[in-house]
Amino acid sequence: MGGRGEIKAIAPVGGRSLRTAVLALAALPALVLLAFALLLALTGGRRPGALAGLLLLALCAVLLASIPLILHLLHRLSAMERQGAAFYHELTRLAKVASLGEVSSSIAHDLNNPLAIMNEEAGWVMDLLQGAGGDERAAREEIRHSVEQIQIQIRRSREITQRILNWARDTDEPAAAVDLNLLLNKTLYLLESDLQRVQVRVVKRLASVPPVAAGSVAELRQVFLNLMKNALDAMGETGGTLTIATSSSPGEVRASIGDTGSGIPPEALPRLFEPFFTTKEEGKGTGLGLAISSWIVGKLGGRIEVESTPGQGAVFTVVLPARTSEAMEPCNGGSHAGHPTAAG
Amino acid sequence: MRVIRLLLVDDEERFVETLGKRLTARGLYVEGTHSGEAALALLQARPFDVVLLDVRMPGMDGIQALREIKKVQPLVQVILLSGNASINTAVEGMRLGAADYLLKPAEIEEVMAKVEEAFEKKRLEEG
Ligand SMILES: Nc1ncnc2c1ncn2[C@@H]1O[C@H](COP(=O)(O)OP(=O)(O)OP(=O)(O)O)[C@@H](O)[C@H]1O
Ligand SMILES: [Mg+2]
Repeated sequence: MGGRGEIKAIAPVGGRSLRTAVLALAALPALVLLAFALLLALTGGRRPGALAGLLLLALCAVLLASIPLILHLLHRLSAMERQGAAFYHELTRLAKVASLGEVSSSIAHDLNNPLAIMNEEAGWVMDLLQGAGGDERAAREEIRHSVEQIQIQIRRSREITQRILNWARDTDEPAAAVDLNLLLNKTLYLLESDLQRVQVRVVKRLASVPPVAAGSVAELRQVFLNLMKNALDAMGETGGTLTIATSSSPGEVRASIGDTGSGIPPEALPRLFEPFFTTKEEGKGTGLGLAISSWIVGKLGGRIEVESTPGQGAVFTVVLPARTSEAMEPCNGGSHAGHPTAAG
Repeated sequence: MRVIRLLLVDDEERFVETLGKRLTARGLYVEGTHSGEAALALLQARPFDVVLLDVRMPGMDGIQALREIKKVQPLVQVILLSGNASINTAVEGMRLGAADYLLKPAEIEEVMAKVEEAFEKKRLEEG
Protein backbone atom coordinates (compact mmCIF):
# COMPACT_ATOMS: atom_id res chain seq x y z
CA MET A 1 0.00 0.00 0.00
CA GLY A 2 0.92 3.62 -0.37
CA GLY A 3 2.52 5.97 2.14
CA ARG A 4 1.22 6.50 5.61
CA GLY A 5 -1.47 9.03 6.15
CA GLU A 6 -2.52 10.52 9.42
CA ILE A 7 -3.12 8.16 12.26
CA LYS A 8 -5.98 8.64 14.59
CA ALA A 9 -6.89 6.44 17.49
CA ILE A 10 -10.41 6.66 18.68
CA ALA A 11 -11.20 5.64 22.22
CA PRO A 12 -14.77 5.00 23.24
CA VAL A 13 -16.14 8.06 25.03
CA GLY A 14 -18.57 8.07 27.91
CA GLY A 15 -19.80 10.84 30.18
CA ARG A 16 -16.61 10.49 32.17
CA SER A 17 -15.03 13.86 31.32
CA LEU A 18 -18.26 15.67 32.18
CA ARG A 19 -18.42 13.92 35.52
CA THR A 20 -14.91 15.05 36.37
CA ALA A 21 -15.86 18.61 35.49
CA VAL A 22 -18.83 18.55 37.85
CA LEU A 23 -16.71 17.11 40.63
CA ALA A 24 -14.14 19.86 40.09
CA LEU A 25 -16.93 22.40 40.32
CA ALA A 26 -17.97 20.96 43.65
CA ALA A 27 -14.44 21.07 44.95
CA LEU A 28 -13.93 24.71 43.96
CA PRO A 29 -15.88 26.47 46.76
CA ALA A 30 -14.25 24.20 49.31
CA LEU A 31 -10.83 25.18 47.98
CA VAL A 32 -11.65 28.90 48.09
CA LEU A 33 -12.86 28.47 51.62
CA LEU A 34 -9.68 26.69 52.61
CA ALA A 35 -7.52 29.42 51.07
CA PHE A 36 -9.51 32.10 52.81
CA ALA A 37 -9.21 30.41 56.21
CA LEU A 38 -5.48 30.00 55.66
CA LEU A 39 -5.12 33.69 54.81
CA LEU A 40 -7.11 34.62 57.87
CA ALA A 41 -4.93 32.48 60.09
CA LEU A 42 -1.75 33.99 58.60
CA THR A 43 -2.85 37.60 59.04
CA GLY A 44 -3.77 36.65 62.59
CA GLY A 45 -7.35 37.76 62.06
CA ARG A 46 -6.59 41.32 63.19
CA ARG A 47 -8.52 44.06 61.41
CA PRO A 48 -11.09 42.73 58.94
CA GLY A 49 -12.65 40.48 61.53
CA ALA A 50 -16.29 41.23 60.84
CA LEU A 51 -15.83 41.36 57.05
CA ALA A 52 -13.95 38.10 57.03
CA GLY A 53 -16.58 36.41 59.11
CA LEU A 54 -19.28 37.60 56.71
CA LEU A 55 -17.37 36.38 53.68
CA LEU A 56 -16.81 33.05 55.36
CA LEU A 57 -20.47 32.75 56.09
CA ALA A 58 -21.42 33.62 52.48
CA LEU A 59 -19.03 31.05 51.10
CA CYS A 60 -20.35 28.41 53.44
CA ALA A 61 -23.85 29.21 52.24
CA VAL A 62 -22.82 28.92 48.60
CA LEU A 63 -21.17 25.59 49.27
CA LEU A 64 -24.15 24.24 51.14
CA ALA A 65 -26.57 25.47 48.48
CA SER A 66 -24.57 23.87 45.68
CA ILE A 67 -24.51 20.42 47.28
CA PRO A 68 -28.01 19.36 46.18
CA LEU A 69 -27.41 20.87 42.76
CA ILE A 70 -24.19 18.93 42.36
CA LEU A 71 -25.79 15.75 43.57
CA HIS A 72 -28.62 16.29 41.12
CA LEU A 73 -26.18 16.87 38.28
CA LEU A 74 -24.27 13.71 39.12
CA HIS A 75 -27.49 11.77 39.18
CA ARG A 76 -28.56 13.13 35.81
CA LEU A 77 -25.18 12.28 34.34
CA SER A 78 -25.31 8.64 35.31
CA ALA A 79 -28.86 8.46 33.98
CA MET A 80 -27.60 9.89 30.69
CA GLU A 81 -24.85 7.33 30.57
CA ARG A 82 -27.36 4.57 31.11
CA GLN A 83 -29.62 5.96 28.42
CA GLY A 84 -26.67 6.22 26.07
CA ALA A 85 -25.88 2.57 26.59
CA ALA A 86 -29.52 1.62 26.08
CA PHE A 87 -29.61 3.72 22.93
CA TYR A 88 -26.58 1.96 21.48
CA HIS A 89 -28.01 -1.36 22.47
CA GLU A 90 -31.16 -0.58 20.55
CA LEU A 91 -29.12 0.67 17.59
CA THR A 92 -27.14 -2.56 17.56
CA ARG A 93 -30.37 -4.52 17.51
CA LEU A 94 -31.80 -2.44 14.68
CA ALA A 95 -28.65 -2.70 12.61
CA LYS A 96 -28.76 -6.44 13.14
CA VAL A 97 -32.30 -6.61 11.86
CA ALA A 98 -31.24 -4.55 8.84
CA SER A 99 -28.26 -6.77 8.04
CA LEU A 100 -30.25 -9.96 8.60
CA GLY A 101 -31.58 -9.55 5.08
CA GLU A 102 -28.13 -9.79 3.55
CA VAL A 103 -26.92 -12.49 5.85
CA SER A 104 -30.07 -14.52 5.32
CA SER A 105 -29.38 -14.76 1.61
CA SER A 106 -26.06 -16.43 2.31
CA ILE A 107 -27.63 -18.63 4.97
CA ALA A 108 -30.38 -19.64 2.54
CA HIS A 109 -27.64 -20.78 0.22
CA ASP A 110 -25.97 -22.76 2.99
CA LEU A 111 -29.26 -24.38 3.90
CA ASN A 112 -30.15 -25.26 0.32
CA ASN A 113 -27.08 -27.47 -0.02
CA PRO A 114 -28.10 -29.99 2.66
CA LEU A 115 -31.68 -29.73 1.41
CA ALA A 116 -30.51 -30.59 -2.09
CA ILE A 117 -28.66 -33.66 -0.79
CA MET A 118 -31.67 -34.82 1.22
CA ASN A 119 -33.81 -34.29 -1.85
CA GLU A 120 -31.58 -36.57 -3.91
CA GLU A 121 -31.28 -39.19 -1.17
CA ALA A 122 -35.05 -39.35 -0.66
CA GLY A 123 -35.53 -39.44 -4.42
CA TRP A 124 -33.02 -42.28 -4.73
CA VAL A 125 -34.83 -44.28 -2.04
CA MET A 126 -38.02 -43.73 -3.98
CA ASP A 127 -36.30 -44.86 -7.21
CA LEU A 128 -35.09 -48.02 -5.46
CA LEU A 129 -38.49 -48.79 -3.96
CA GLN A 130 -40.14 -48.40 -7.36
CA GLY A 131 -37.42 -50.27 -9.20
CA ALA A 132 -38.82 -53.65 -10.26
CA GLY A 133 -36.75 -56.70 -9.32
CA GLY A 134 -33.05 -56.11 -8.88
CA ASP A 135 -30.96 -57.29 -5.99
CA GLU A 136 -33.09 -56.98 -2.84
CA ARG A 137 -30.14 -57.05 -0.46
CA ALA A 138 -28.15 -54.47 -2.40
CA ALA A 139 -31.18 -52.20 -2.54
CA ARG A 140 -31.64 -52.47 1.21
CA GLU A 141 -27.99 -51.46 1.73
CA GLU A 142 -28.44 -48.51 -0.61
CA ILE A 143 -31.55 -47.36 1.23
CA ARG A 144 -29.79 -47.62 4.57
CA HIS A 145 -26.94 -45.45 3.26
CA SER A 146 -29.36 -42.85 1.93
CA VAL A 147 -31.30 -42.63 5.17
CA GLU A 148 -28.05 -42.25 7.10
CA GLN A 149 -27.05 -39.47 4.76
CA ILE A 150 -30.39 -37.74 5.32
CA GLN A 151 -29.74 -37.86 9.07
CA ILE A 152 -26.28 -36.36 8.56
CA GLN A 153 -27.74 -33.55 6.47
CA ILE A 154 -30.44 -32.87 9.05
CA ARG A 155 -27.75 -32.41 11.67
CA ARG A 156 -25.92 -30.06 9.36
CA SER A 157 -29.08 -28.05 8.74
CA ARG A 158 -29.73 -27.78 12.44
CA GLU A 159 -26.31 -26.21 12.90
CA ILE A 160 -27.14 -23.65 10.24
CA THR A 161 -30.48 -22.72 11.78
CA GLN A 162 -28.71 -22.48 15.12
CA ARG A 163 -26.39 -19.96 13.53
CA ILE A 164 -29.32 -17.83 12.39
CA LEU A 165 -30.67 -17.91 15.92
CA ASN A 166 -27.31 -16.88 17.33
CA TRP A 167 -27.11 -14.07 14.86
CA ALA A 168 -30.55 -12.74 15.70
CA ARG A 169 -30.24 -13.30 19.43
CA ASP A 170 -29.70 -10.49 21.85
CA THR A 171 -26.13 -9.39 22.12
CA ASP A 172 -25.17 -10.01 25.72
CA GLU A 173 -23.38 -13.32 25.63
CA PRO A 174 -20.65 -14.27 28.05
CA ALA A 175 -17.24 -13.48 26.61
CA ALA A 176 -15.78 -16.46 24.80
CA ALA A 177 -12.40 -17.08 23.23
CA VAL A 178 -12.62 -15.81 19.67
CA ASP A 179 -10.10 -16.95 17.10
CA LEU A 180 -9.70 -13.85 14.93
CA ASN A 181 -8.28 -15.75 11.94
CA LEU A 182 -11.25 -18.08 11.89
CA LEU A 183 -13.75 -15.29 12.41
CA LEU A 184 -12.30 -13.14 9.63
CA ASN A 185 -12.37 -16.06 7.21
CA LYS A 186 -15.97 -16.84 8.08
CA THR A 187 -17.03 -13.21 7.82
CA LEU A 188 -15.37 -13.00 4.43
CA TYR A 189 -17.39 -16.00 3.36
CA LEU A 190 -20.61 -14.15 4.22
CA LEU A 191 -19.61 -11.44 1.75
CA GLU A 192 -18.63 -13.84 -0.99
CA SER A 193 -21.41 -12.90 -3.36
CA ASP A 194 -20.52 -9.20 -3.01
CA LEU A 195 -16.88 -10.03 -3.64
CA GLN A 196 -17.79 -11.88 -6.81
CA ARG A 197 -19.88 -9.05 -8.17
CA VAL A 198 -17.12 -6.49 -7.95
CA GLN A 199 -13.54 -7.06 -9.00
CA VAL A 200 -11.96 -7.32 -5.59
CA ARG A 201 -8.77 -9.18 -4.89
CA VAL A 202 -8.52 -10.49 -1.35
CA VAL A 203 -5.10 -10.60 0.28
CA LYS A 204 -4.82 -12.35 3.62
CA ARG A 205 -1.97 -11.79 6.01
CA LEU A 206 -3.09 -13.85 8.96
CA ALA A 207 -0.81 -14.48 11.93
CA SER A 208 0.44 -18.07 11.94
CA VAL A 209 -0.55 -18.46 15.57
CA PRO A 210 -4.21 -17.43 15.55
CA PRO A 211 -4.71 -14.34 17.75
CA VAL A 212 -7.40 -15.01 20.33
CA ALA A 213 -9.57 -12.26 21.77
CA ALA A 214 -12.20 -12.37 24.48
CA GLY A 215 -15.61 -11.39 23.20
CA SER A 216 -18.74 -12.56 21.52
CA VAL A 217 -18.42 -14.12 18.09
CA ALA A 218 -21.72 -12.61 16.97
CA GLU A 219 -20.76 -9.10 18.00
CA LEU A 220 -17.24 -9.22 16.60
CA ARG A 221 -18.57 -10.71 13.40
CA GLN A 222 -20.79 -7.69 13.08
CA VAL A 223 -17.82 -5.39 13.61
CA PHE A 224 -15.79 -7.08 10.87
CA LEU A 225 -18.78 -7.28 8.57
CA ASN A 226 -19.29 -3.51 8.95
CA LEU A 227 -15.62 -2.80 8.29
CA MET A 228 -15.49 -5.10 5.27
CA LYS A 229 -18.67 -3.66 3.82
CA ASN A 230 -17.29 -0.16 4.23
CA ALA A 231 -14.08 -1.23 2.51
CA LEU A 232 -16.02 -2.70 -0.43
CA ASP A 233 -18.18 0.43 -0.63
CA ALA A 234 -15.07 2.60 -0.65
CA MET A 235 -13.69 0.67 -3.62
CA GLY A 236 -16.99 0.81 -5.51
CA GLU A 237 -17.51 -0.75 -8.90
CA THR A 238 -13.89 -0.35 -9.94
CA GLY A 239 -12.82 -2.80 -7.25
CA GLY A 240 -9.34 -3.05 -5.80
CA THR A 241 -7.57 -5.01 -3.10
CA LEU A 242 -9.05 -5.97 0.25
CA THR A 243 -6.32 -6.78 2.74
CA ILE A 244 -7.21 -8.80 5.82
CA ALA A 245 -4.49 -9.04 8.45
CA THR A 246 -4.15 -10.25 12.01
CA SER A 247 -1.31 -10.05 14.48
CA SER A 248 -0.64 -10.21 18.17
CA SER A 249 1.71 -8.43 20.48
CA PRO A 250 2.04 -8.92 24.23
CA GLY A 251 -1.37 -8.30 25.74
CA GLU A 252 -3.01 -7.21 22.50
CA VAL A 253 -4.43 -8.74 19.37
CA ARG A 254 -5.11 -6.86 16.16
CA ALA A 255 -7.25 -7.45 13.13
CA SER A 256 -7.18 -5.01 10.27
CA ILE A 257 -9.24 -4.49 7.16
CA GLY A 258 -7.51 -2.48 4.46
CA ASP A 259 -8.80 -1.28 1.13
CA THR A 260 -7.53 0.59 -1.90
CA GLY A 261 -10.62 2.74 -2.16
CA SER A 262 -11.40 6.43 -1.92
CA GLY A 263 -9.77 6.96 1.46
CA ILE A 264 -11.05 9.38 4.08
CA PRO A 265 -10.72 13.16 3.75
CA PRO A 266 -9.11 14.72 6.86
CA GLU A 267 -12.23 16.74 7.67
CA ALA A 268 -14.35 13.57 7.87
CA LEU A 269 -11.95 11.78 10.20
CA PRO A 270 -13.14 13.27 13.52
CA ARG A 271 -16.78 12.52 12.69
CA LEU A 272 -16.32 9.00 11.39
CA PHE A 273 -17.58 7.22 14.50
CA GLU A 274 -20.55 9.50 15.13
CA PRO A 275 -23.90 7.81 14.80
CA PHE A 276 -25.60 8.76 11.52
CA PHE A 277 -22.45 10.23 10.00
CA THR A 278 -22.44 9.01 6.44
CA THR A 279 -21.20 10.24 3.08
CA LYS A 280 -23.22 7.64 1.24
CA GLU A 281 -26.32 8.52 -0.70
CA GLU A 282 -29.69 8.03 0.90
CA GLY A 283 -30.72 4.43 1.15
CA LYS A 284 -27.13 3.20 0.84
CA GLY A 285 -25.75 4.06 4.26
CA THR A 286 -27.29 4.84 7.61
CA GLY A 287 -24.03 5.94 9.22
CA LEU A 288 -24.41 3.41 12.00
CA GLY A 289 -21.79 0.84 11.03
CA LEU A 290 -18.79 2.46 12.63
CA ALA A 291 -20.71 3.90 15.60
CA ILE A 292 -21.94 0.46 16.57
CA SER A 293 -18.60 -1.16 15.83
CA SER A 294 -16.68 1.23 18.06
CA TRP A 295 -19.25 0.78 20.80
CA ILE A 296 -18.90 -3.00 20.66
CA VAL A 297 -15.11 -2.85 20.56
CA GLY A 298 -15.04 -0.26 23.37
CA LYS A 299 -17.22 -2.49 25.50
CA LEU A 300 -14.64 -5.26 25.11
CA GLY A 301 -11.89 -2.92 26.28
CA GLY A 302 -10.47 -2.30 22.83
CA ARG A 303 -10.31 0.44 20.24
CA ILE A 304 -10.51 0.98 16.51
CA GLU A 305 -7.63 2.76 14.76
CA VAL A 306 -7.92 4.40 11.39
CA GLU A 307 -5.17 5.13 8.96
CA SER A 308 -5.93 6.66 5.61
CA THR A 309 -4.34 8.38 2.69
CA PRO A 310 -7.09 10.18 0.78
CA GLY A 311 -7.33 8.80 -2.73
CA GLN A 312 -5.33 5.68 -1.91
CA GLY A 313 -7.35 3.79 0.63
CA ALA A 314 -7.90 3.19 4.31
CA VAL A 315 -6.98 0.69 6.98
CA PHE A 316 -9.23 0.08 9.97
CA THR A 317 -7.57 -1.83 12.80
CA VAL A 318 -9.48 -3.41 15.64
CA VAL A 319 -7.25 -3.68 18.71
CA LEU A 320 -8.49 -5.95 21.49
CA PRO A 321 -7.03 -7.19 24.75
CA ALA A 322 -5.51 -10.63 24.21
CA ARG A 323 -7.35 -13.48 25.77
CA THR A 324 -4.38 -15.37 27.20
CA SER A 325 -3.38 -14.58 30.76
CA GLU A 326 0.22 -15.70 30.44
CA ALA A 327 2.57 -13.17 28.91
CA MET A 328 3.52 -14.05 25.37
CA GLU A 329 7.09 -13.81 24.21
CA PRO A 330 7.36 -11.94 20.95
CA CYS A 331 9.39 -14.75 19.40
CA ASN A 332 8.97 -18.31 20.52
CA GLY A 333 9.90 -20.39 17.51
CA GLY A 334 6.49 -21.93 16.87
CA SER A 335 6.50 -24.10 19.98
CA HIS A 336 3.23 -22.61 20.99
CA ALA A 337 0.50 -24.67 22.56
CA GLY A 338 -2.83 -24.45 20.76
CA HIS A 339 -5.17 -21.86 22.13
CA PRO A 340 -8.77 -22.68 22.76
CA THR A 341 -10.77 -21.42 19.83
CA ALA A 342 -14.39 -20.61 19.36
CA ALA A 343 -16.42 -21.74 16.45
CA GLY A 344 -18.24 -18.98 14.64
CA MET B 1 -31.09 -41.40 -29.98
CA ARG B 2 -27.56 -41.43 -28.63
CA VAL B 3 -26.87 -41.46 -24.91
CA ILE B 4 -26.45 -38.00 -23.37
CA ARG B 5 -23.01 -37.56 -21.80
CA LEU B 6 -23.37 -35.47 -18.68
CA LEU B 7 -20.68 -33.99 -16.44
CA LEU B 8 -21.90 -33.18 -12.95
CA VAL B 9 -19.82 -30.62 -11.02
CA ASP B 10 -20.50 -29.76 -7.37
CA ASP B 11 -18.30 -29.52 -4.29
CA GLU B 12 -20.89 -31.49 -2.30
CA GLU B 13 -19.58 -35.00 -2.96
CA ARG B 14 -22.65 -36.83 -1.77
CA PHE B 15 -24.86 -34.65 -3.96
CA VAL B 16 -22.84 -35.59 -7.05
CA GLU B 17 -22.88 -39.26 -6.11
CA THR B 18 -26.60 -39.59 -5.53
CA LEU B 19 -27.86 -37.29 -8.27
CA GLY B 20 -25.41 -39.12 -10.53
CA LYS B 21 -26.95 -42.49 -9.65
CA ARG B 22 -30.45 -41.17 -10.24
CA LEU B 23 -29.59 -39.69 -13.61
CA THR B 24 -27.76 -42.87 -14.62
CA ALA B 25 -30.88 -44.82 -13.71
CA ARG B 26 -32.72 -42.53 -16.12
CA GLY B 27 -30.49 -43.47 -19.00
CA LEU B 28 -27.77 -40.81 -18.99
CA TYR B 29 -24.03 -41.39 -19.04
CA VAL B 30 -22.84 -39.48 -15.99
CA GLU B 31 -19.45 -38.53 -14.65
CA GLY B 32 -19.04 -36.43 -11.55
CA THR B 33 -16.35 -34.16 -10.18
CA HIS B 34 -15.99 -31.65 -7.35
CA SER B 35 -14.29 -28.53 -8.63
CA GLY B 36 -14.21 -26.19 -11.60
CA GLU B 37 -10.56 -27.03 -12.25
CA ALA B 38 -11.22 -30.78 -12.32
CA ALA B 39 -14.22 -30.24 -14.61
CA LEU B 40 -12.05 -28.38 -17.12
CA ALA B 41 -9.48 -31.16 -17.08
CA LEU B 42 -12.18 -33.78 -17.70
CA LEU B 43 -13.66 -31.76 -20.55
CA GLN B 44 -10.26 -31.70 -22.24
CA ALA B 45 -9.93 -35.46 -21.83
CA ARG B 46 -13.35 -36.68 -23.01
CA PRO B 47 -16.31 -35.28 -24.90
CA PHE B 48 -19.46 -34.29 -22.96
CA ASP B 49 -22.76 -32.90 -24.16
CA VAL B 50 -24.05 -31.17 -21.07
CA VAL B 51 -22.42 -29.87 -17.88
CA LEU B 52 -24.44 -29.41 -14.70
CA LEU B 53 -22.36 -26.83 -12.86
CA ASP B 54 -22.71 -25.60 -9.28
CA VAL B 55 -22.26 -21.84 -8.98
CA ARG B 56 -20.77 -21.67 -5.51
CA MET B 57 -17.65 -23.75 -5.08
CA PRO B 58 -14.40 -23.06 -3.28
CA GLY B 59 -11.53 -22.23 -5.61
CA MET B 60 -12.73 -21.65 -9.14
CA ASP B 61 -16.43 -20.92 -8.85
CA GLY B 62 -19.15 -21.84 -11.33
CA ILE B 63 -19.16 -18.52 -13.16
CA GLN B 64 -15.41 -18.61 -13.69
CA ALA B 65 -15.59 -22.26 -14.76
CA LEU B 66 -18.40 -21.39 -17.19
CA ARG B 67 -16.21 -18.70 -18.76
CA GLU B 68 -13.33 -21.15 -19.21
CA ILE B 69 -15.55 -23.93 -20.55
CA LYS B 70 -17.09 -21.62 -23.15
CA LYS B 71 -13.60 -20.57 -24.20
CA VAL B 72 -12.33 -24.07 -24.88
CA GLN B 73 -15.56 -25.84 -25.84
CA PRO B 74 -18.24 -23.40 -26.94
CA LEU B 75 -20.61 -26.16 -28.03
CA VAL B 76 -20.87 -27.88 -24.66
CA GLN B 77 -24.13 -26.87 -22.99
CA VAL B 78 -23.80 -25.65 -19.42
CA ILE B 79 -26.67 -25.62 -16.93
CA LEU B 80 -25.94 -23.65 -13.77
CA LEU B 81 -27.00 -25.00 -10.39
CA SER B 82 -27.42 -22.61 -7.53
CA GLY B 83 -28.51 -22.67 -3.93
CA ASN B 84 -30.00 -19.21 -3.91
CA ALA B 85 -32.35 -17.46 -6.24
CA SER B 86 -30.10 -14.64 -7.27
CA ILE B 87 -31.37 -13.00 -10.43
CA ASN B 88 -27.96 -11.39 -10.86
CA THR B 89 -26.17 -14.72 -11.10
CA ALA B 90 -28.78 -16.08 -13.47
CA VAL B 91 -28.51 -13.07 -15.77
CA GLU B 92 -24.72 -13.09 -15.57
CA GLY B 93 -24.67 -16.81 -16.35
CA MET B 94 -26.95 -16.52 -19.36
CA ARG B 95 -24.93 -13.60 -20.64
CA LEU B 96 -21.82 -15.76 -20.47
CA GLY B 97 -23.50 -18.43 -22.51
CA ALA B 98 -25.13 -20.79 -20.03
CA ALA B 99 -27.96 -22.80 -21.56
CA ASP B 100 -30.14 -22.74 -18.48
CA TYR B 101 -30.37 -22.31 -14.75
CA LEU B 102 -31.57 -24.66 -11.99
CA LEU B 103 -32.31 -23.93 -8.35
CA LYS B 104 -31.30 -26.36 -5.62
CA PRO B 105 -33.06 -28.44 -4.47
CA ALA B 106 -34.50 -29.37 -7.86
CA GLU B 107 -37.00 -32.05 -8.86
CA ILE B 108 -35.45 -34.86 -10.88
CA GLU B 109 -38.05 -34.39 -13.66
CA GLU B 110 -37.03 -30.77 -13.99
CA VAL B 111 -33.34 -31.71 -14.11
CA MET B 112 -34.03 -34.33 -16.79
CA ALA B 113 -36.16 -31.92 -18.83
CA LYS B 114 -33.51 -29.23 -18.81
CA VAL B 115 -30.70 -31.64 -19.60
CA GLU B 116 -32.64 -33.07 -22.56
CA GLU B 117 -33.50 -29.60 -23.79
CA ALA B 118 -29.86 -28.54 -23.56
CA PHE B 119 -28.83 -31.68 -25.45
CA GLU B 120 -31.34 -30.87 -28.21
CA LYS B 121 -29.94 -27.38 -28.40
CA LYS B 122 -26.43 -28.73 -28.77
CA ARG B 123 -27.48 -31.07 -31.60
CA LEU B 124 -29.12 -28.18 -33.41
CA GLU B 125 -26.06 -26.00 -32.98
CA GLU B 126 -23.79 -28.78 -34.23
CA GLY B 127 -26.03 -28.99 -37.27
N1 LIG C 1 -12.97 2.06 4.35
C1 LIG C 1 -13.44 3.32 4.19
N2 LIG C 1 -12.94 4.12 3.22
C2 LIG C 1 -13.43 5.38 3.06
N3 LIG C 1 -14.40 5.92 3.81
C3 LIG C 1 -14.92 5.18 4.80
C4 LIG C 1 -14.48 3.85 5.05
N4 LIG C 1 -15.20 3.36 6.08
C5 LIG C 1 -16.04 4.34 6.47
N5 LIG C 1 -15.90 5.44 5.69
C6 LIG C 1 -16.64 6.70 5.81
O1 LIG C 1 -17.25 6.75 7.07
C7 LIG C 1 -18.65 6.93 6.94
C8 LIG C 1 -19.35 6.27 8.08
O2 LIG C 1 -19.22 4.87 8.00
P1 LIG C 1 -20.30 3.96 8.72
O3 LIG C 1 -19.94 2.54 8.50
O4 LIG C 1 -20.45 4.41 10.12
O5 LIG C 1 -21.65 4.32 7.97
P2 LIG C 1 -22.07 3.98 6.47
O6 LIG C 1 -21.19 2.94 5.90
O7 LIG C 1 -22.17 5.26 5.73
O8 LIG C 1 -23.52 3.39 6.67
P3 LIG C 1 -23.92 1.95 7.28
O9 LIG C 1 -22.65 1.32 7.78
O10 LIG C 1 -24.85 2.24 8.38
O11 LIG C 1 -24.53 1.22 6.16
C9 LIG C 1 -18.99 6.40 5.57
O12 LIG C 1 -20.14 6.98 5.02
C10 LIG C 1 -17.74 6.78 4.76
O13 LIG C 1 -17.78 8.13 4.35
MG1 LIG D 1 -20.79 1.07 6.96
